[in-house]
Amino acid sequence: MGTGHRAGATRIGRLALAPLLLAPLLAGCGGSSGSSGTTLKVWDYSAEQTDFHKKAAEEFHRQHPDITVQWQSIAQDEYKRTLPLAFQSGQGPDIFYWSENGPLAMSQLLNQKWIQPLNEGSALPASFTKRWPEGSFMDGVNQLDGKTYAFPFSESTYWGPGYMFLNKKVFGDAGLDTAKPPKTWAELKSTCARIKAKTKAYCIASPTKDVDFQRIFYALAAGEFTFNDLFFDYRKGTFSLAEPQAQKVFAFIQELKKDGYLAPGTNDKNFSRQQFATGQAGIIMDGTWTPSVFKSLGMDSSQYSVAAHPVPDSGAKGALWSQPDGNKYWVSAKTKQSKAAWTFMNWLTQPDGYFAKQYLEGGFGTLAFADNARYIKDPAMRQIMGIADKPGYRVDLPLPVTKCPDLVKSQAYVKAIGERPNWEYEAMSGALSGDKSLKPEAEQVVEHRQKTLTAELKKEAAQGLKVSLDCFTFPDWSYTSDYRPAK
Amino acid sequence: MALAPTSPHPPDTAPTPTTRPSGEARRPKASSEPPEGNRERAKGRDRLWVAAFLVPFLLLYMGFTLWPLIATVYYSFFDWSGSGPLDNFVGGDNYSRILGDPLFWQAVVNTLLFAVGTTLIKLPLSLLAALVMTRKWLRAKRALRTVFFAPLIIPVAMAGLVFTYLLNPSNGALNSALHGLGLTDGTTDVFANRWTAMLTLVLISVWQVFGQYMIYWMAALQNVPDELYEAAELDGASEWQKLTRITLPMIRPVAVVIVMLALVNAMHVFGLVVTLTGGGPGTSTYVVSYFIYKQAFGSMPFAYGYASAAALLFSVMAFLLVTSQGLFVRRAQKTRKEYGV
Repeated sequence: MGTGHRAGATRIGRLALAPLLLAPLLAGCGGSSGSSGTTLKVWDYSAEQTDFHKKAAEEFHRQHPDITVQWQSIAQDEYKRTLPLAFQSGQGPDIFYWSENGPLAMSQLLNQKWIQPLNEGSALPASFTKRWPEGSFMDGVNQLDGKTYAFPFSESTYWGPGYMFLNKKVFGDAGLDTAKPPKTWAELKSTCARIKAKTKAYCIASPTKDVDFQRIFYALAAGEFTFNDLFFDYRKGTFSLAEPQAQKVFAFIQELKKDGYLAPGTNDKNFSRQQFATGQAGIIMDGTWTPSVFKSLGMDSSQYSVAAHPVPDSGAKGALWSQPDGNKYWVSAKTKQSKAAWTFMNWLTQPDGYFAKQYLEGGFGTLAFADNARYIKDPAMRQIMGIADKPGYRVDLPLPVTKCPDLVKSQAYVKAIGERPNWEYEAMSGALSGDKSLKPEAEQVVEHRQKTLTAELKKEAAQGLKVSLDCFTFPDWSYTSDYRPAK
Repeated sequence: MALAPTSPHPPDTAPTPTTRPSGEARRPKASSEPPEGNRERAKGRDRLWVAAFLVPFLLLYMGFTLWPLIATVYYSFFDWSGSGPLDNFVGGDNYSRILGDPLFWQAVVNTLLFAVGTTLIKLPLSLLAALVMTRKWLRAKRALRTVFFAPLIIPVAMAGLVFTYLLNPSNGALNSALHGLGLTDGTTDVFANRWTAMLTLVLISVWQVFGQYMIYWMAALQNVPDELYEAAELDGASEWQKLTRITLPMIRPVAVVIVMLALVNAMHVFGLVVTLTGGGPGTSTYVVSYFIYKQAFGSMPFAYGYASAAALLFSVMAFLLVTSQGLFVRRAQKTRKEYGV
């Protein structure tokens, strides 16, 4: 007993501790669990499709036992932040969903070096490309230098915001019929007055938090003029929030709020959807994806109806936009599984394949490469298709990149919209909450964005690109008809 | 009976052991510095153990504090999206843009308002609670301490989400209660207005961290010798006199440090803003950390360089604020030594 014994015991204790500290490190250095084959990581933000994706992955694996698909859905709000960080840290997915900036998405993703061409750059077989209508693959939009980078995923006639969903119970309690929806702004107001008077529900569940404001704004603004999802007016070649039409639409939304027809609070889309699904609101304006979201909230399509958005009392002077390649799955530039990714994409886009059938039957949306009318059974989706099929409900927007092919190398537009991308929504949310005019801040937003766009285009033109503001201006195009380039 | 005059200010000369109250022997002696040249140093194998215990902290400190700081300074001179090469050097352009960005200055003002607002409310309230908690006659102290401390355990984001639903004008519990009492028409939206939104943020923050500052105050109060109170009791001092003539002067040195901590911690506000207001309505509750977050991750492509410049600029402002308080802290440290607390 004594210090000698104690020192020995201490030494033994330290020696005993060492393996315990090292063991986790050694385990971490070990290889994978030993499963053979390739693993493909697919990322998107369609959380309501998680179960469907799991089944699709299982079916794909059954048909291709050497490839395992790990399909992960991240909350939409977080997706745009998580994905770049994942790429930066070298842990990005092999295939990812990216639908920002519409036709300019490929340009943006190429600039960020996030994507590689399908089939490792080789020519795509005719059996693949003929799944889509003629003209679906365009240089500068999803093709460049003879290589194809992506394919249209959603059918662009039906996909997008701008539909009005009506809660049958609330309408019934108010003595209204969802088969006779309000068609004009005045009718919308009188419907709301009725709902407010006869029921305890709010009339319109309208999310006004951040970008979710777009749901009511796009739906109502489509009756006044046509712009893209970033407030750009291609007829005038300008960002449009300060335009009289946009101001008029916003003023109408303010009237709805003042009259107590909007559910109070600065709510996000999830909250508003829940309000609608639980009968706390009679109307919600949302998009093609909504039936699948309602299903995940336990609301069957028999409990609601879909209608066209109401238009100004003087008649529709605009339309919702349609643009090619609004939604896409891309192959990561960093993936080592390019072959497997192509195999998966090829399997996914079979018009009569498992994915297409189940996707359409599940009411998740429409597909650009499948027979939607044949497979879509969901009543709400069929209503959406019927509404969007009407001429002039959704029109093809002009495509600047087809007017000026050098725009595929331009970053001017992306820079103009990239700084404070939610500025328009912040301005609207602030003006709506504060019950003040939108015009001052709208003019600020437009001036800033237009200045950036013009300055960057000038810079790029000086560097030799054939680009200018004229590329974004189509004065002969009408808001209510499809844009067709002059031959 | 008039209380024997006691100055709230520390005596001009440090009290000698013979003039100190008799409880001096029970007060822990301030550690005295060994004579120069006689300092104990780790020897032999003990040095290895000192290094072994220090190295993990140093590695973490370098990896999570020093390196990010150096990297932030570096990035702030580039127009960089966070991915791809760092090849677009812009010099001071990011800084000049920040200085001219009205949204940044609004965020700075909001952050300072929030920091001052929460400090002005939480410190007096938590001191009051600490004073009550240190009363001998109070029962169930442990239970009360748990109740006050519990909100601190809730993650900030979760607290924000809970209050988002509680305060929602559509169907929130608070609105329903106020409407049921006939106090409102049921559509009161505290987040519809800049000032009510800021006040709500302040109050929720106070609710969350209240317990933490109560603990700080309790630690400060425990250093006040009981003998002083006993002596004052004998002199016939009232509770108010004890508070103002003994307690507050004695804890003043520590109070300065607590105030500084409170201000600095409040300036980090982020989670509540993200979950409760999203910087809204509009941009009226933007705070600096939220501004940096939106610039870094909200722009497309990310604006890491710009966000880094904003982060650095605000760090400099915060540093100046803390440094200016440092004068009071140093004075407080000196007073603490004199008082032996």
